[in-house]
Amino acid sequence: MPNIICCFKWVVDEAYIKPSSSGKIDLEWAEYKLSDYDRNAIEEAVQLQEKYGGSVTAVTVASSDATKGIKDALSRGPEKAYFINDDQFENLEPSQTSAILAKVIGDQIDYDLIICGEGSSDMYSQQVGPRLAEKLGIPCIAFVNQLTIEDNRIIAERKTDDGLEVISAPLPALVTVLPDINSPRVPGLKDTLAASKKPVIEIDLEDLGSEYERLLIDEGLRAASMERNCSRFGAGPEDIKAFVEAVRKTGVIDRG
Amino acid sequence: MDFKLTEEQELIRDNMREFARTYVDPVAVEIDENSRYPEEVIKKLADGGWLGMPFPAEYGGAGVDYLTYAIAVEELSRSCAATGFTMSVHTGLACGPIALYGSDEQKKKYLTPMAKGEHLGAFALTEPGAGTDVGAATSTAVLDGDEYVLNGVKTFTSNGPVANTYVTFAWTDKNDKRNGMSAFIVSRETPGLSVGEHFMKMGIRASQTSEIIFKDCRIPKDNLLGKVGDGMKIAMACFDHGRIGIAAQAVGIAQAALDESISYSKQRVQFGKPISKNQAIQWMIADMYTDITAGRFLYYYAAYLKDQGLPFSKEASMAKVFCAEMCSKHASKAVQIHGGYGYCKGQKVERLMRDAKITEIYEGTSEAQRMVIAGNVLR
Repeated sequence: MPNIICCFKWVVDEAYIKPSSSGKIDLEWAEYKLSDYDRNAIEEAVQLQEKYGGSVTAVTVASSDATKGIKDALSRGPEKAYFINDDQFENLEPSQTSAILAKVIGDQIDYDLIICGEGSSDMYSQQVGPRLAEKLGIPCIAFVNQLTIEDNRIIAERKTDDGLEVISAPLPALVTVLPDINSPRVPGLKDTLAASKKPVIEIDLEDLGSEYERLLIDEGLRAASMERNCSRFGAGPEDIKAFVEAVRKTGVIDRG
Repeated sequence: MDFKLTEEQELIRDNMREFARTYVDPVAVEIDENSRYPEEVIKKLADGGWLGMPFPAEYGGAGVDYLTYAIAVEELSRSCAATGFTMSVHTGLACGPIALYGSDEQKKKYLTPMAKGEHLGAFALTEPGAGTDVGAATSTAVLDGDEYVLNGVKTFTSNGPVANTYVTFAWTDKNDKRNGMSAFIVSRETPGLSVGEHFMKMGIRASQTSEIIFKDCRIPKDNLLGKVGDGMKIAMACFDHGRIGIAAQAVGIAQAALDESISYSKQRVQFGKPISKNQAIQWMIADMYTDITAGRFLYYYAAYLKDQGLPFSKEASMAKVFCAEMCSKHASKAVQIHGGYGYCKGQKVERLMRDAKITEIYEGTSEAQRMVIAGNVLR
């Protein structure tokens, strides 16, 4: 009966990332969403609970206005959530996020298994999971696309560039999962309504008893722009020559 | 004044969007083409608790407000107007009157399985000679001992061929035009109830529509809905809240037309630039966006009034007529933006334009809505 923690991040929904006419990115009207792979992490935790029993706890580090994210995560199955929040928690650096998570999880939550998404939809640094495992002193398996528990060990199939690798590790352990691992369920109406009634443990900076020095500073956010000039080229030798000429003219490649 | 939805409402909207993308989009083209009832999707809606949204939990519902329900209809209709309508008829016109006028026993027996989505509901009012003119109906219900004997032919009954429970209307006193009609709940398996002709429609083709024929159909006296003579009142009340659902459906169709138009006009290149760079196209898109936003707030407002327990009949009609007409107009504009491709099968806008038209007709034509509005304003 494993006690499972799933970590999630509440991120800007990329559908709302649009450049303003000046080329800057205006996030004032952006909606937020659960980071894509974290949905898989939550789903995997819930599926393992359905199979082996135990409990599922969702944990996030976020700014204090991420309350919708807590409801969203809880509507997907976990029975309670730790909402570690402070208005200063913006642009946290992975080492900071993992340190905060390690402190709360290490001090306050009983766990056998921690599941994280492989990387977040916004920064995709892929660091929080492995750093958290390191700080807690437990084994970490990344790139997991299949997971079972047997005799107090996890057996994980990893998808790597070279192929599939099956690894086993003793619990407690941490895994970071890929989107192939499952198809996250769509929460039903009653799941969403029930989410508002589940326990949420709020922890702020003062409770953590630590200082937070902001390391990452936004110096500016600019959108990549794509200008189509609507030239068309065929596949014949002459066309390819014309294409190369056209690309050279733009300065994208030079003669060198 | 606060224009913001609650976090819960936003999540429910987002989840319905995700539901529609996951389960409805993949079948929407096929069920339209084959006029097929998407039983598997309806089952999934039932499992998700989407088929009894605004009804109390003690009768199998989810107990959310009507606004949240209408928002869900919009999101579902954005993927498939027919599926959105199946949900809307079931909830607004079939479950609605039982929730509003049913006895506790009727709610336990009929509303509960319907709100859980185990039974689908239909609303059999229209007759061959009685559309907007409800009073021209000829169906009769005669009390015989402990039973009412129903006789008559209902037509254009949405969900008719697939429903388990029907709310229907018949004259208990033909001579009393005002208070002579009564409402009844009829189970599908009742002897004497048969499903007549299925209609092949221009749009919302996956919604099943048929005649429902009552021939010496004997139903228990207890299946009278409300009191004897309440029929006309119940029918009108059903339409009032049903219209909010249709307005939401129309906004969903129009939103889909806008979604398609934005993505197509950015990709389609003519005269050396994407057509979205042309002011002619930009103005169409700007008008679409404006009307959709206006329509959405109109139906939000009608639903809000209903949720507050305030009169909302006029506002429901305003939302219905405005949303339906802007939906038809902009679905047609969306085809215009798509040019020849938009006129062909395979482009979503072709289906949207066919689906849009019905919103101006059913649950009270645009003309009937204007009668309601004018009647209120000129009073």
